[in-house]
Amino acid sequence: MIWIGDVLVSQGEGGVYNERMLGGARVWDPHRSKLSALYHVGRGIELTPGMRVLYLGAANGTTVSHVADYVDVVYAVEFAPRPMQDLLEVSRRRKNVIPIMADAARPEQYAPLVEAVDLLYQDVAQPEQASIALRNCSFLKTGGILVLMLKTRSVDVRKEPAEVFQDTLDALISAGLIVQESVWLAPYHHDHAAIVCTKPEV
Amino acid sequence: MQSYWFGDVGDGCCTLFIGDSNAIIDRVRSISANMGSFVPLEWEKAVLCGACRDRIDYLSRLQAVCIAAAERSIREQYSRKDAELLQMVRTLDEIDTVINLLSERAAEWYLVRHPAFSRKYRRTPAHVLVKTMREKSKGALGSVAAEIERLAETRTTLAKEVSARANDVMPNTSALIGGLVAARLLSHAGGLLFLSRLPASAIQVLGARTALFAHLKTRSPCPKHGIIFQHRRVHNAPRDVRGKVARVLAGKLAIAARLDYFRGVVAPEFLDAAQERIDATGRRSEP
Repeated sequence: MIWIGDVLVSQGEGGVYNERMLGGARVWDPHRSKLSALYHVGRGIELTPGMRVLYLGAANGTTVSHVADYVDVVYAVEFAPRPMQDLLEVSRRRKNVIPIMADAARPEQYAPLVEAVDLLYQDVAQPEQASIALRNCSFLKTGGILVLMLKTRSVDVRKEPAEVFQDTLDALISAGLIVQESVWLAPYHHDHAAIVCTKPEV
Repeated sequence: MQSYWFGDVGDGCCTLFIGDSNAIIDRVRSISANMGSFVPLEWEKAVLCGACRDRIDYLSRLQAVCIAAAERSIREQYSRKDAELLQMVRTLDEIDTVINLLSERAAEWYLVRHPAFSRKYRRTPAHVLVKTMREKSKGALGSVAAEIERLAETRTTLAKEVSARANDVMPNTSALIGGLVAARLLSHAGGLLFLSRLPASAIQVLGARTALFAHLKTRSPCPKHGIIFQHRRVHNAPRDVRGKVARVLAGKLAIAARLDYFRGVVAPEFLDAAQERIDATGRRSEP
């Protein structure tokens, strides 16, 4: 990852969302992007130029655009039409963003479009976040990495965030994933946690 | 055999999909894999197939197809009749908020200019006060008041359009609770599809989110009604049966919304029975 002092940046064409530029690089704001927050509060995972990424819950494509600056290709899945309009605009300007309008809970619909990937990144506001991640693990290479941005309030507002966090960890571990890191994204994002797992060899 | 966007691959052979750009968009949108026996796509297969020259070519072709497919999906979703109604009713509710905010502020301003003026013991409706302010104030305050009046006119026009559109898009729901309230239900649910999928209990408390979650988290009583309170048969019902009317009405609305989504035309036999049932609930407990 590229840091200028303690500012995380990415190299690429700027002006996607009026982001600040620093020495010709795009500042990746941890308050806006949960992935950037992960790099600030935890270790995260090193994005490398050869990586292929499946990004679930691409939304308006702001974080997507930063990830795309680092990696080979990003398959960006988004369901809602309004953010998709913005994501399409990002794709038109970035050759390595493949926008897919589909429901992340139904991977069979976009499986014929997506390669096996090194990184599966998920940031969806759904109750069934663990099961969506597990279903999409079919796309993950052996040794590949899952980064799950857990929105605890989307799972169940009545439950304590810590409880949702533990339940999700249990679900991922019992499905055979190896948890590398699990951190809360405070102070950047409240009630959001990041879980980094690897897919072991079978 | 595995079907990918560019063609079918199996047993060492590969059949390239042949078709114009529309055909391939249709293929991308309708294709589906069996996740049980799914083999992840390898882009090299596309080269062997003759779909592309190299990886750069592969990605640019795939991107073009995906963008076109997404554009078409967006267009389809936006052309549904409820998409515009959603924006119309949300604009209407926001204009209301703006009118209220501006009138309150303008009234405060007017009070400073006229220290002897007070609204106490006078039944001055807001629009009359705004008219007075426009006529009696010079400069910016006068034009703010004029602006409020103009917004109010826009609001009236828009409200008529919302009602008319709601009668067209959701005829059964509108027949039960009126176009405006029906449109507000639609706006809170996020669309006719989502409204038609809601259970009656959710429709009953749609718009009472704070009270509902307060109830779920603490021991506060559950809300009896949300937006549907705006309908006369709910707010005019005697207090002791209001909850019952709301429940029955919500039950009928859930059916009406499904009729609207799947049939899209008025169902008189349903409406007659439903109206009768709702009216009967409101009457039953009267002494």
